[in-house]
Amino acid sequence: MWLWFSKLGSPKWFYELSGKWLPWLIGPMALLLIVGIIWALLFVPPDYQQGNTIRIMYIHVPFASISLAFFPLMALAGTITLVWRMKLADIVAKTAAPLGAWFTALALASGSIWGSDIWGTWWIWDGRLTSMLLQFFLLIGVISLRSALEDAEAAAKACAVLSIVGCINVIVIKYSVDWWNTLHQPSSPFSLSNEAPNPPEVWIPLVIMIFAVYLFFAVSLILSMRNEILVRERRSEWVQQLVQAT
Amino acid sequence: MFDLIQFSSVGEFLNMGGYAFNVWLVYALFAMFFSVNLTYPLIRKRQIVLEQKRRLILNKEIVSQNEDNNEVDNLTFRVGEGT
Repeated sequence: MWLWFSKLGSPKWFYELSGKWLPWLIGPMALLLIVGIIWALLFVPPDYQQGNTIRIMYIHVPFASISLAFFPLMALAGTITLVWRMKLADIVAKTAAPLGAWFTALALASGSIWGSDIWGTWWIWDGRLTSMLLQFFLLIGVISLRSALEDAEAAAKACAVLSIVGCINVIVIKYSVDWWNTLHQPSSPFSLSNEAPNPPEVWIPLVIMIFAVYLFFAVSLILSMRNEILVRERRSEWVQQLVQAT
Repeated sequence: MFDLIQFSSVGEFLNMGGYAFNVWLVYALFAMFFSVNLTYPLIRKRQIVLEQKRRLILNKEIVSQNEDNNEVDNLTFRVGEGT
C-alpha cells in the first residue's frame, strides 16, 4: 500500500500510466457525448412549461455538478501536498484551478442563457447564482495567488490553504437552493415512474451527459497534468530522452 | 426509433420552438470549450517539447565549445575515445 502510494507520487510513473489510460477515457467519453447530445437535442420531449429550452439543461447540469468537485479535489491535493509533500498532488492542485474556472464559467454562462428565457432575466443575486459566482472568483484567486508568489513551494502551500477554505463555499452552493428559495429550483429527484414530473426519458440522457462531462473533465485534467509534469521534470533523464525521441 | 424524434422537419429542429438563439448558443459554447480544451494541451505539449529540444541542443553546443577552447583536454579526450 505504501509502496503504491509513493509510486503514485512519482511524476514519471503517472506520466507513463496516464498515457495508457487516455484512450480508455477518450473512447467512452466520445461515445457517451454523441449518444447524449443526439438524445438531448432530438428525442427528449419539450418541457410542458419550458418548451425546448429544457435542452439547455443537458449542458448546464453536468457542468454545474462537476464544478462543485474542483474545490474538494484541490483541497485533497493541497492536504497531501502539505502533509506528505507529494510532487504529483501539487501538480493536480495547480492544473485543476484554471480548469475549474472554465467549467464554472460555462455553468454560469449556460445557466444565465437558460434563465434569460425561463426566468426573463440573465442574472439575479439568488443564493445559488451568487455562491457559484463566488466560486469562480475564488478560483481566479487561487490562480493569481500561485502566479503572484515567486517561491514555488510557498505558492503551493498558500494555494493548498485557500483551497481548503474554499470548500466552505461548496457547501453553501450545494444547500443554497434549500436555504434561500428564490428563482433557482432545487434539484429534482430521479423517478422511474412515467407519471412523475421527471420521467426516465428526461433524466436518462442527463445521466449520460453527466458521465460524459465527468470523463471530459478527467481527460482535460490528465492532459494538462502531463504537460505540467514535462515542464517540472525537464531536467530529469526520462524527460530528456522523451524529448529527443519525438 | 425515428418516430420518437420530437421535430417534424429540419427547419423546426433549427428553430427549437422559438428558442433557437439561446439553445444553440449554449451548445455552441459547449462545442467551443470542448474543442479548445482538448486541442490546447496538445499544442502546448508540442511547444514544451520543441523548447526542450532547443535547450538540449544549446547545452550540447556550450559543452563542445568548452572542449574546443581547451585543446589539450580535447585531444586527450578524443585519443582516449579512440577516434
